[in-house]
Amino acid sequence: MTQGYYGRPIVKPPAWTDLIPTYFFAGGLAGTAASLAFAERTAKNDRLARTLILGAAAGCAVSAFCLIADLKKPERFLHMLRVVKPTSPMSIGVYIFSAFSGSVFIAAGSEVTGIARPAGRFFEAFAGLIGPVMSVYTSVLVGDTVMPAWYLPRKTLPALFAATSASGAGAWGLLFAPARSNGSARRLAILGGTAMVAALQALHHELGPKQVEAYTTGEAGKLARSARVLNVGGIVCATLAKNSNALSKIAGALLLAGGLTERFAVYRAGCASAKDPKYVLEAQTRLG
Amino acid sequence: MGFFTDTTLCIGCKACEVACKEWNQLPSDGYEFTGESYDNTKELNGNSWRHVAFIEQLGKERDTSRWLMESDVCKHCTHAGCLDVCPTGAIIRTEFGTVVIQDDICNGCGYCVVACPFGVIGEKQEDHTMGKCTLCYDRLKVGEQPACAKACPTESIQFGVVDELRERAEKRLANVQARFEGAQLYLNDPNDGVGGGGSLFLLLDKPEVYGLPPNPIVPTKDLPLRWRTAGIAAALLFGAVVLCAAARE
Repeated sequence: MTQGYYGRPIVKPPAWTDLIPTYFFAGGLAGTAASLAFAERTAKNDRLARTLILGAAAGCAVSAFCLIADLKKPERFLHMLRVVKPTSPMSIGVYIFSAFSGSVFIAAGSEVTGIARPAGRFFEAFAGLIGPVMSVYTSVLVGDTVMPAWYLPRKTLPALFAATSASGAGAWGLLFAPARSNGSARRLAILGGTAMVAALQALHHELGPKQVEAYTTGEAGKLARSARVLNVGGIVCATLAKNSNALSKIAGALLLAGGLTERFAVYRAGCASAKDPKYVLEAQTRLG
Repeated sequence: MGFFTDTTLCIGCKACEVACKEWNQLPSDGYEFTGESYDNTKELNGNSWRHVAFIEQLGKERDTSRWLMESDVCKHCTHAGCLDVCPTGAIIRTEFGTVVIQDDICNGCGYCVVACPFGVIGEKQEDHTMGKCTLCYDRLKVGEQPACAKACPTESIQFGVVDELRERAEKRLANVQARFEGAQLYLNDPNDGVGGGGSLFLLLDKPEVYGLPPNPIVPTKDLPLRWRTAGIAAALLFGAVVLCAAARE
């Protein structure tokens, strides 16, 4: 039986393109990569720090492209900078992203060219400190919508975003740093990957049996199952990868692919929960 | 200022849709034939700011039937999700208390689309900005009423001061309740999840029958809680990073 008005959506699914979940992945990875870069620099492991700050810069470059390209007309991005709006997570996010990516680009530029090292290190530290906020704020952005699959998991969605970012940053280190210096990245990849699998379980529980269908059926469900295989494979490889360059790279590639797939799964779940009115109607019976 | 849409008077003529398109110079959404009912507009979106819903209800034995018609429109919420989340300041509250998107400021980010509990706002494909009812802001400024209300032949769409419309809606409900089982007011309560609408409705069935959410809530209601939870997640993430870096093997 169709619900609502001829089964049509009650709320509109996003008018965004796939650039937006790509941004969630790249921006999340960049934030945590910058944090680990700062921590490794402090621990005098310059080799891994270098890989990670360059990874953060790559993530920021992809993010900037995605955010601007999704607006269709690049100059329109400047409209974002007209106001600072505390009620809009996107407005706050634009300033977080601008401060973060600016710092990362200075730090990475200095790392590559050797110019202005003290300034580079200062901005690397700053990016490292705000990196986790960069990684997690997007959960507030999507949570502050009327898509039931994003709106309802109040506690677990930020945890999932944090875990996916940690796994991504660790995976970058595994993929691009030599095994003898990638210990911290390996540990973060294992911890983040495991936390991602656990957070997703918790998210299913928080949603309950009816709402969880947005995540477990359709395209979102297919993506989530692929992500799970990739992530578990990545965690296993990373656990066995100590001192092995080849296994490290395999683990890194699997976890990067798993993280990206998981981001798309979450995104598709949000869209699915808007398209079928049953989710909105069920959600409204339990909201006071 | 706002609308009171009294669906007991609506005859489904779609004059409001046409008047809106004409006055606001909105392009067509195409010529798709739904085959479901006399409604081929289907939904509110970036270029359709009034939408007449058409519902055929048959009795169990298929011996009785009734038609429900409702001209849907932006609700101009007291607590408007679209206005809250707009990152550019393009969406404003006007001197009339209405919610309006300024075309030249909108950058097409699309956040308002997913923040509207009613699915009102849509993307205008021709320039990739977002569109919705302005309650004819330009007409109000010169003392005219909105084009849809002006064109409505049965006074199903009434325009006026919101508080007066609320009173009028209460009176009308009392009047028709005996004749129409299931008659109810929608968005007339300033204490509901969106603080009441600047557009209120008298419906003849449950809101969901018309494709309206029964219990709309502005998403920004939970925003402080969400930032706190995200802050905790970010702190834990930082802790995890430090832990992984500190644990030398």
